[in-house]
Amino acid sequence: MQTWVLIVALLILGLAGYYLGRSRAVASADGRAASLHSVPSYYGMYVAIWAAVPGLILVLVWLSIAPIVRDNMVLSAIPPETVTAWAQEMLPADLFAAEAEAIAASGTDGLTGPQVELLMVNIVNVAAGSSFVSPTVAGILVGPAEHMNSLGELSSWGLLVIGLGLACAGLYTARRRLAPHFRARNRVESIINVFLIICSTIAILTTLGIVLSLLFESARFFGIVPIWEFLFGTQWSPQIAIRADQVGSSGAFGAIPLFVGTLLIAAIAMLVAVPVGLMSAIYLSDYAPPRVRASVKPVLEILAGIPTVVYGFFAILTVAPFIRDLGAAVGLNVSANSALAAGVVMGIMIVPFISSLSDDVINAVPQSLRDGSAALGATKSETIRQVILPAALPGIVGACLLAVSRAIGETMIVVMAAGLAANLTVNPFAAVTTVTVQIATLLVGDQEFDSAKTLSAFALGLMLFVVTLCLNVIALRVVKKYREKYD
Amino acid sequence: MSMTSEIASEPSVSPPPQAESEARAKMTSRGVEVHYGAKRALHGIDVDILQHEVLALIGPSGCGKSTFLRCLNRMNDTIEGCKVTGEMTLDGGNIYDKALDVVQLRARVGMVFQKPNPFPKSIYDNIAYGPRIHGLAGGKEELDGIVQSSLERAGLWEEVKDRLSEPGTGLSGGQQQRLCIARAVAVSPEVILMDEPCSALDPIATAHIEELIDELRVNYTIVIVTHNMQQAARVSQKTAFFHLGDLVEHKETQEIFTNPQDERTQGYITGRYG
Ligand SMILES: Nc1ncnc2c1ncn2[C@@H]1O[C@H](COP(=O)(O)OP(=O)(O)OP(=O)(O)O)[C@@H](O)[C@H]1O
Ligand SMILES: [Mg+2]
Repeated sequence: MQTWVLIVALLILGLAGYYLGRSRAVASADGRAASLHSVPSYYGMYVAIWAAVPGLILVLVWLSIAPIVRDNMVLSAIPPETVTAWAQEMLPADLFAAEAEAIAASGTDGLTGPQVELLMVNIVNVAAGSSFVSPTVAGILVGPAEHMNSLGELSSWGLLVIGLGLACAGLYTARRRLAPHFRARNRVESIINVFLIICSTIAILTTLGIVLSLLFESARFFGIVPIWEFLFGTQWSPQIAIRADQVGSSGAFGAIPLFVGTLLIAAIAMLVAVPVGLMSAIYLSDYAPPRVRASVKPVLEILAGIPTVVYGFFAILTVAPFIRDLGAAVGLNVSANSALAAGVVMGIMIVPFISSLSDDVINAVPQSLRDGSAALGATKSETIRQVILPAALPGIVGACLLAVSRAIGETMIVVMAAGLAANLTVNPFAAVTTVTVQIATLLVGDQEFDSAKTLSAFALGLMLFVVTLCLNVIALRVVKKYREKYD
Repeated sequence: MSMTSEIASEPSVSPPPQAESEARAKMTSRGVEVHYGAKRALHGIDVDILQHEVLALIGPSGCGKSTFLRCLNRMNDTIEGCKVTGEMTLDGGNIYDKALDVVQLRARVGMVFQKPNPFPKSIYDNIAYGPRIHGLAGGKEELDGIVQSSLERAGLWEEVKDRLSEPGTGLSGGQQQRLCIARAVAVSPEVILMDEPCSALDPIATAHIEELIDELRVNYTIVIVTHNMQQAARVSQKTAFFHLGDLVEHKETQEIFTNPQDERTQGYITGRYG
């Protein structure tokens, strides 16, 4: 409650600061705004920032730190008798018997980590008046709960008072500093600069966090399964025996079949998508009459909006049987879940990416180049092949790359159409599986995150990350080299 | 049908069926009107362009010089909403004939644009582009020869001979303009249309291009748009003065500059016209 009051108050103070700062700046220049160093609104913004931002930062910091401080204070203040009573009620008898002495001697320090967490949850529930706690426990914990509530109250009021104080102080000092020669514009710009840096840092840190969490979990996996076995093993069957007497569950973590499967399906998809997408882009940009273009392009883009699950239906219900029957007709043995079906449907899914992006880059090639080529007596197709496509190539490569990443990262179509069998094969008529499909199946349902089976998902994720990263780096190189040659 | 094949097979032999005085007319324009959407940009232009002659088009900005020039090789086709009516011939064949192959027409009527538009390719490939498309060179050596002579004629060879593999877009504006002239010359068209080819050039390069035009006249027919009166007087045999979409005067350059009939022409030439 107090926090919301404070935030609203900060915003109002900021607004007030804006007008106060502006009017003060104008007044300090005897009403001649032109003689100020900056436009008056910059002075207003400067004061507004000083009024609102420190308080908002305080709120953020306070809200993230205060609960921790509060919990620690509550825990350390619980008398050992209360802890004993609670433990007697909540812990299994044998555990309680083992720990009773330690608890009686040192209160909460006698509990294990998870037990302390449980206790804390109970206290929070009691404090909130929730009915998740049995009345007996509620009776025992009434003291700590009240303690927690009073601390919380204190913290909220403290935040409100300090926040308002900061805001007023900021407003006052910032406003006092204003003078005609004060460089408000530069100050505001540098504050905005800092803000932008913080935002981009957040993005970078998030990426870093994702990579680190992948790395840590993968490291745990590689502690169980040697890394070379994972990288070069040709056998993938991630079932591990839970009990020693189980059969047929030795567990093999060779990732090669998965990566071969992924690359096979992605390659088939690109074989379908690149020609179709590029050709339709060329048709749309250089051949289609404006009316056709205006209606075909949106239709193509609708393709991009179809959920991949629906493509999956299409793959299993239409494309896979069709390919199987076709194969049967020419005497080929095509599996019901074939890489071909998944790849073709994935290719269709990717077509709008390539065609729409390529169409944009092809259109961006200046008309003067087309005219120049036409004036030399080149035909349309000569112009496109020798002038337009080379000029648009960086963008087309970029579009294809985006498509490859989509293909490699795509899960749903493959789950439905290509299956789960980790066969090591490049035969497009066989059933294969991909990295993302395996990650999905490994983590479906309730899992404990300490077996090799679940941890292998993180190793696969890491590999996938590394592969796509390499792809991007290579593509950037290619595009750059090309740019140097042509721009 | 027959007209097309005539144009394609024996361009210079077929005598136009017109009167004796027009026997040397390479291109003719009769009542040509151009509309951009609803806006009329040219109001019935009648001009004869004689073989081995340089025709200069002059006139205030926006009067339709570029528009008329683009009619001569049908570059207006690519502009949306642009409609050309009237009759226009090349060696007696109607170039707006439905059966005519535009690509072939443009191979015979080359063009240098008002704004330089080099391809994003190397300098060499920029020049070799046209000859390669039309199969003008038998081998690598012959192609090298075409590239060199074209660049020499445009006065660019000395500047770029050591950097032929560098991108043409990396040249300066004036160099790009000369590159485009060399590119047009490389395919040896019969008619060359030049839209202010010297607007970005220094006096030395301009003199070079004017020499080139003089030299090309021996074999080709040239139409040049220019805002520079001295240039028109120096390089052209005939001059046409355009004003607000009308062809006001068209006659011997000598005469138009010494004895203009229309007062608009007089005003423009003497600089009294805004
Ligand atoms: N693509 C176009 N769409 C619509 N109107 C156009 C287009 N191109 C030219 N026009 C119009 O046609 C008229 C003649 O233009 P044009 O480019 O032929 O002039 P110009 O004589 O070449 O002028 P400048 O000396 O400035 O190059 C102008 O009024 C112009 O606005
Ligand atoms: Mg013009």
